[in-house]
Amino acid sequence: MDKHIVAQVEAALSEVLEREITGLTEEARLLEDLHLDSTSVMEMLMHLEDSLGIVIDPENLDMEDFQSVGTLTAYLARVAPEPQLQGR
Amino acid sequence: MSASLGTLERVEFHVPDRRLTIEALAEPLGLSRPKLSLFRKVHGLHTLHDDPDSSLFDLVLPAARRVVEQAPDPRRIRWVIYAHAIHEVAPADTDLAAGIRDALGLRHAEAFALSQQNCASGLGAVDVAAQLLRDGDAADRVLVVTGEKPHSPLIRTVPNTAIMGEASAACLVSVGGTGDTVRSYVSHTLGEYAQLVGMSPEQAALYGKAYAPTLADVVRQAVAEAGLTLADIDLVIPHNVNLMAWRNTVAELGISQNRVFLDNVPRYSHCFAADPFVNYASLRDAGRLVEGRHYLMACVGAGATFTALTLTHRRGDTR
Repeated sequence: MDKHIVAQVEAALSEVLEREITGLTEEARLLEDLHLDSTSVMEMLMHLEDSLGIVIDPENLDMEDFQSVGTLTAYLARVAPEPQLQGR
Repeated sequence: MSASLGTLERVEFHVPDRRLTIEALAEPLGLSRPKLSLFRKVHGLHTLHDDPDSSLFDLVLPAARRVVEQAPDPRRIRWVIYAHAIHEVAPADTDLAAGIRDALGLRHAEAFALSQQNCASGLGAVDVAAQLLRDGDAADRVLVVTGEKPHSPLIRTVPNTAIMGEASAACLVSVGGTGDTVRSYVSHTLGEYAQLVGMSPEQAALYGKAYAPTLADVVRQAVAEAGLTLADIDLVIPHNVNLMAWRNTVAELGISQNRVFLDNVPRYSHCFAADPFVNYASLRDAGRLVEGRHYLMACVGAGATFTALTLTHRRGDTR
């Protein structure tokens, strides 16, 4: 997993869940293990829009991308502009 | 064919003239940029109406007056029900229901309030009205009034879910009168989410996961009790909580999103218990309600009560 993206996901989740989130593993499931629902997933994505410079279209999301930290970071790596991933 | 539960004879609504974007509320509500993006981009809430200089009576009376003026005989309005979501809409020594009744010149009527189902109280009041009228004189009517003011930041938002605007609506309910035939009413409460404020993120997530499946179940049950199928429903007339709740619910129901009237979500945002009536009147005024076709009104109240009501549109005296 891209360390820069994981750090931004941890920061976003800490805001959404109102507690510090660190040490995320690729296998951690967003709904079952981190207790997110569709609204909190979207709130996390709104945080990541700012921190990763991505643009989310809420009408066209595949929930398969939000099953685990691994699938989420892979999705973010696909949609994040390259400069955001430099200097990690 | 199910029996009629009652008739919606007239429905009217009112919104204050002043309209603002949700961005204007970011600072007073302490909304961060991501929270604001959640409300605008994900939930589809863009503007709302609000007049901080007007009273609750200024908000609710215009719609209620229009209904009373069109009533066949206002003297036969036996009950006035003020259905509100916020429990404390006025100081404890103020009887708002009686105040509304008196301002409408209906002192002969009995007035009371319904509130415990929060935003679902409005559709619940139609059911209560029909039960009050059952076995009574066919000339009797009940006036249901909704509308309230988000008078504090705590009430102005449902965290991560909705921003509240001002609108009021009133409807006249009869049994056997001319107007929309109410064919079924279903209400289901998940009491485990009774804590309205301060749910933990984990509790909120459990509620979030239960929301769309529960609402979809209530919708299906209301349709079945009306002797109909989902394919028979021309349009769902929803509450304006947000687009995401309805995207999830239509996915549960397996219907297209264009079967739900969502045009007013970005315009009015969530107006407590008034939403389904405001949306009904918007559709009627736009000529989108068709004689003889079936519609389903739905609303969810925090706490959490899920309601759905099916009706068959009959123009009759309903404007």
